[in-house]
Amino acid sequence: MQSLYVEGNSVMHRISPRLKLLSLAAFSIALFVTGNLVLLSIAALLAAIVYRMVGLPLRDGLRRLRPIFLTIAVVALFNLIFHPWQEALVPLLRLTALMLFAATVTATTSITAFIDEVTALARPLERTGWVQADDIGLALGLVLRFVPEIVGRYQAIREAHIARGLKIRPTTLLAPLIILTLKDADNIAAAIDARGIRRHGS
Amino acid sequence: MSTRDLVLTALFAAIIVALGLLPPIFLGFIPVPITAQSLGVMMAGVVLGARRGAIAVLIVLLLVAIGLPVLSGGRGGLAIFASPTAGFLIGWIFAAFVTGYLSERLVNDQQSALVQTVSFFLTAMAGGIVVLYAFGITYLATVAGLGFTKAFVGSMAFIPGDVIKAFVAALLGRAVMVGYPLLPVRA
Repeated sequence: MQSLYVEGNSVMHRISPRLKLLSLAAFSIALFVTGNLVLLSIAALLAAIVYRMVGLPLRDGLRRLRPIFLTIAVVALFNLIFHPWQEALVPLLRLTALMLFAATVTATTSITAFIDEVTALARPLERTGWVQADDIGLALGLVLRFVPEIVGRYQAIREAHIARGLKIRPTTLLAPLIILTLKDADNIAAAIDARGIRRHGS
Repeated sequence: MSTRDLVLTALFAAIIVALGLLPPIFLGFIPVPITAQSLGVMMAGVVLGARRGAIAVLIVLLLVAIGLPVLSGGRGGLAIFASPTAGFLIGWIFAAFVTGYLSERLVNDQQSALVQTVSFFLTAMAGGIVVLYAFGITYLATVAGLGFTKAFVGSMAFIPGDVIKAFVAALLGRAVMVGYPLLPVRA
């Protein structure tokens, strides 16, 4: 699976992930505190500039944002019908600015950097006993490892249906998929424990 | 969390991701295809229960946040959470939790097939529709500035599809309970 990270050397690339996430949080709060159209327009423009600096070809950069921006635009249109245009413009600018800056953070932070950051953030929570920080990376890794296998299993079940001349129904397709996948859990858990990957868990 | 629970949760998260990669499923009697990924979210509660179901969904959202295109249609990244429909994504966590919580308490293996299926249908609707839409509509109304009435009315069009998904989730819940029961039963 191709991640959304884009290799590059822009300003945003060089800032630490923690600082980027904090800035994103601060930016979000700032966007929702003000209703000033001029300020929001400037924010959106700055976010667009920072996004452009990431280095994505224009078409790819826009294509990533298209589904999100479409929803924002449709909602803004709805707003426009019922409210004066100044009111409709506020959420449009807010969400667009947020979308652009968030997309910039995603494009300039690699997966491993993110996982390291989430693990570090979860470390203090280990004291509460709710979560083991290293389990997060383990869980994410497990998901990525097994998605192709599950998709393959789905194709196999589907082909078995066709071979038997059975109609493809969600129940006859997904029930075996779920059961067969979850039955693997015991073996996988045993393999993880045998390797001592989880120092704390049991 | 035991290693087995962690693996079950991660595997179910992988199932939800895989469902996003598959083409939409046609049910035969309805011309509109259903996207299986949100079905997977209802299933998480029905199959794994409240805690593991909610964590499975949380793992999927974490994958989205760190920049992997795991949402149906190859969408991903932090920008998704800027969309007006982001409330429906955050709501997934609570939907799975509520569905799981109710399923754990309402369904057990002593009941007849019909009772189990109807119970799962009710729990899937309670979580996958009532709770999910509460989050989705609230976010739409406040963050996207649509106002509660319009957000509510605009979202109603999607309910019939989700009722069908709840029904399919109920059938699947019953099938999995027969084949490989994992739901922790808390009477």
